[in-house]
Amino acid sequence: MQKIPLNLAAAEMVLARDIFKNDSPTGMPICGKGTVLSDSLISRLQQMGVQSLYVEGHPVWQEGDRCLSEQLAELEKRFSKTLDNRYNAVLLDIYRNHLTTAMGDNGGRTEE
Amino acid sequence: MDERRSDLKKIIMDTKTLPTLPGVINKLNSLSNDDKSSVQEMARIVSADQVLSARILRLANSPSYGFYRVSTISNAMILLGVNVVKSLALSSSIFEIMEKNSVGLWEHSLGTATAAGIIARKLALPEVEEITTAGLLHDIGKVIIGLKCAEQMPEIRRKIKLDDLFISDAERAVLDTDHAEVGGWLSKSWFLPDKLSEPIAFHHNVNSSEDHRIKTSVVHLADVLIKASGFGDSGDPYVPPIQQVAWDALKLNEALLHEMVVDLEDKLVEVKNFSLELANAAAV
Repeated sequence: MQKIPLNLAAAEMVLARDIFKNDSPTGMPICGKGTVLSDSLISRLQQMGVQSLYVEGHPVWQEGDRCLSEQLAELEKRFSKTLDNRYNAVLLDIYRNHLTTAMGDNGGRTEE
Repeated sequence: MDERRSDLKKIIMDTKTLPTLPGVINKLNSLSNDDKSSVQEMARIVSADQVLSARILRLANSPSYGFYRVSTISNAMILLGVNVVKSLALSSSIFEIMEKNSVGLWEHSLGTATAAGIIARKLALPEVEEITTAGLLHDIGKVIIGLKCAEQMPEIRRKIKLDDLFISDAERAVLDTDHAEVGGWLSKSWFLPDKLSEPIAFHHNVNSSEDHRIKTSVVHLADVLIKASGFGDSGDPYVPPIQQVAWDALKLNEALLHEMVVDLEDKLVEVKNFSLELANAAAV
């Protein structure tokens, strides 16, 4: 999942969270999680003043972003001193799976 | 060796140069320990601090409390409870001290506070607000060491890097004490309640906690989770080992841990991509 500003949103991206009016969780829901974005939907969201949204995977890459394999390598390094602790080994597994899911289909893509 | 440590304790705890807590917290503390004091008296003290008043009103009017249009401090204090107001006052002043010193450590503390709140809610523990504050304060000893032992800091950093040490081990090698112990000293000199000082002093050694083992365990686990997530900078890059006693005290299991990680990462997404928004806002 990634939070992106609306002007970087593009057709085919999938919403990872509901969008609310005025970006406030107490506002009226405008668009539900799981919706596939289209150009017309994006321009309507623009008219409604939506600033940012959450999308599945990691579709927008910017300088400094690391691809999945780099992130996994850093994760392993952080755990390198405590792998003999069985609870930490469990936690490492959880994080490994989480990262892989969170990065989605674009996970293996390297930065352009 | 012991002498060196007590000398250091004197230097570190030299009250003249120690960051002080704003008077409002001391007054609130003494009033709330006195059965005869009324909420109105406390509200009068809080009202003198406009930033704190604004924060309290904002919290009291937030949808999570389900009440709207709370406009007086005394109503807000009745609604939120005196303890929540006290930890709000404490955390906003700690923010100021930390923010000035190190952004990485501030992020780590903020992240630990977030994680502690998530863990406490997931386990349906009482006093979530206090646990969150303890998470925020758990590394306050690092701020003090940074201020008081500035000369030894390069040596500590060098040891972490060259010898692959945890920051606590490097601190002990150089200073004969570590940030948890220093944090414990500081919380004594600030007269913080035990439910805050125990998690601060024992978050790396849950076994030593006596009266607040659950809270200490939560802060210990929150520290581990946020370091696993790689958020912020606490001085070294390594995830500390989850202690058996904490695992048992919180009755953890793999499924629970998994849910906590998902909740935490879900929360952190909002913070992590902040730079993307900033870059874009600048470009527009």
